[in-house]
Order: sequence, then C-alpha cells, then structure tokens
Amino acid sequence: MLIDQLDLKRAIAGDERALRRLWTRHAPHVDAVVRRLCGDAELAADISQEVWMQIFRALPSYRGDSQFGTWAHRIAVNRTLNALRKIRRIAKLEVDIEDDSALVEPDTDRTFIAESIEQAMTRLSPGARAVFVLHDIEGYTHGEIGAELGITPGGSKSQLFKARAKLRKLLAHLVDESPSVAGKAHVAPV
Amino acid sequence: MSHLSEDRFDQLVSSERARDAAPLNTWESIAQRAREEGLIRDHRTAMWVTPWMRAAAAVLILAGGITIGRYTEGESVATTASGEIAADTPPVSPSAPARFSNVDEAWATLERASADYQSASAFLAVNNSRASTAPDSVSIYRERLAALEELMRATASARENARRDPVINQYYLAALGAREATKQQLGAARPASFRLKGF
Repeated sequence: MLIDQLDLKRAIAGDERALRRLWTRHAPHVDAVVRRLCGDAELAADISQEVWMQIFRALPSYRGDSQFGTWAHRIAVNRTLNALRKIRRIAKLEVDIEDDSALVEPDTDRTFIAESIEQAMTRLSPGARAVFVLHDIEGYTHGEIGAELGITPGGSKSQLFKARAKLRKLLAHLVDESPSVAGKAHVAPV
Repeated sequence: MSHLSEDRFDQLVSSERARDAAPLNTWESIAQRAREEGLIRDHRTAMWVTPWMRAAAAVLILAGGITIGRYTEGESVATTASGEIAADTPPVSPSAPARFSNVDEAWATLERASADYQSASAFLAVNNSRASTAPDSVSIYRERLAALEELMRATASARENARRDPVINQYYLAALGAREATKQQLGAARPASFRLKGF
C-alpha cells in the first residue's frame, strides 16, 4: 500500500494522528514478523515497541524508493534480529547451526502436538526459526539470510531443510486435505 | 514418526505468510513512548512554549523593537485616534537591563515584552499618523519587506535540509507572520493611488 505523502510529512512533524494512522495500517504485518522471529509473545511485545520507535525515528530518511510497508518491514526484521542478538538468543544460533540442533528432538517433542505452524515454530531453536521465517515466510534469499545472521548461504540452506523437516514432523497429525498445491512453495529463490 | 506431506506443509506456510497478527501493543503505549522521545509533539506547545521557539521569538521582537524605535525616534508621546495625548511611553531604559533570579521569571518578562511589543505595534499602526504619513514610511516598509523576504528565503532553504529543526521552523514562521503584518502596514501607509506590485 502506498503511503499518503501528506500523512508522512505530518508524521515527521510529530502529528500524533498521522503517526497513529501509520501504525494502525502497518502494525498487523510488522508485528507479525516480530512475533514469528521471537517465538515469545511477551518478548515480541517489548521488541515491537522498539521497532516502532525506530520506524518513527527513521521516517525522515524514508525516500519512497519502496513501499512504506516494505521499508518498515525491513526495519522490523533488522531491529528484531539485533534485539535477539543482544539477549544472546542469536548467539546460540551459531552454535545451533554448527551442531545441527534442528534435528535434535527433545523428549518433550514426542508429546507435543502443534495445532498451527506458528505453534510448531516455537519448538525450533532461535536460529532455525529465524532462517525458516526469513526464507519461507518473508521471502529472503539464502544470501540475504546469511548476511543478516552472519552465516554462509549453504548454512542457511542446510538449516532451512532441517527446520522444515522438523516442522513437518511436529505437524504430522494434521490431515492432508488438499494434496495438490499449485505454484511455488517458497517465497524466495533458493 | 510420520511427516506431514510437503504439499500440505506448503499450504500451511502459505497461510501463515498471508496471516497478519493483532498488534502486540496498544497505541497508547506506543504513543507514550513516542511522546517521551519527542517523536510526538503537541503543536501548540511545540510552536510557542519550547525554549528554543521562545528564544527565536525574542530575537524577532528585539529586531522589531529596534525598527520601531528608529522610525518613532524623537516622539515622546503617542496620540490617540482622536488626537488626545494617551500617555508617555513607559520608560524602558537600555542602560538598566533587567535582572532575573530564575528562568521562569525571565520567560514571564519575555512574554510580557512580546505582548507589549504586539500591543505597541498595533497602537502605532493605527494611531501614529505622523509616522505613517511621513514621506519615507513607505520606503521603510518596503525595505523591511525586502529584508523579511530574504530571511524567508534563507530559512526556507534551511528547512529543506532540516525540516524538524524547531529553531529554523520558528524563524521561518515568524518571518512569514512579520511579512504579512508589514504588508498590511504598507497598505495602510501608501498613498491611495499607490498600488503595491513588488518591493
């Protein structure tokens, strides 16, 4: 959705109504990616607030080269990953990727039945979740993911393969209602 | 342990991709934080109450006062529209600068001075027939208009690179207001046959 330029100018000038319109229009999508990356609602709420402050602070630098939602989305991803790094969750990612943690199945997974993919994602390690969300949901390429997470594109591919396998296992109880799915499965090229 | 089929899994991923979530925070909590950081500004407050704006207004008041002082030089009394002597100008001696014990007191004085300046300007515009009919009053207003126009150009240019700078914005707005006021004064001072085309 193209942002109304007048609204943007007003928002930059500190007009609360204009800022609120931006937030109302884009929070459902922006907050969704924050929540997926965090895997924890309470943490996601805290980080989301930081994300929105960063979006508001950066408004004067928005040049209109991309849609406002895309621009805000990118800030949300970067800010969330930075926040997760700070609290050492991403630090665990590098270890996870090295030791193939996505294949590790704690005993609790045997009894865990996910009702949705969002629920199932909470069972992934932070690193595997980040790769899965960025690639399959957000449409990042493995090269972009590698740059964001400080891993190689190959490492990202490997992690994605394992994450998808684990998610399919966690969701195995769901009935295959429609076996044929047209179109490509993933948003991003591999 | 079995796996969900690839196709079904891709369906789920596709659904998840399209799904938006309810906002994680209320607007009130976002707004409170934004207000604390100065990202939300109450315009009435921002325009007239912040110290920077007040300081900028004070500079303009000073400049305006100098201008009035110059063209009313030699007059010790002001006359009303009916020709009566109204009062002596209150003694404001530049040789005895005011002393302030705190910031609030200084701001209060500045606000009084601002109000006095505006009152005096309005009074002179209406009642100072000598000044307004003086042969050079039109040229004075024209010079002032030209100076204000220059000021507006400079501040407008500065605003291109600093749209959020409150000082620049205040100078721009104050110059805009002063220009309009001067245009009105010029309109009142010019001969009936004179039509303003530029300055």
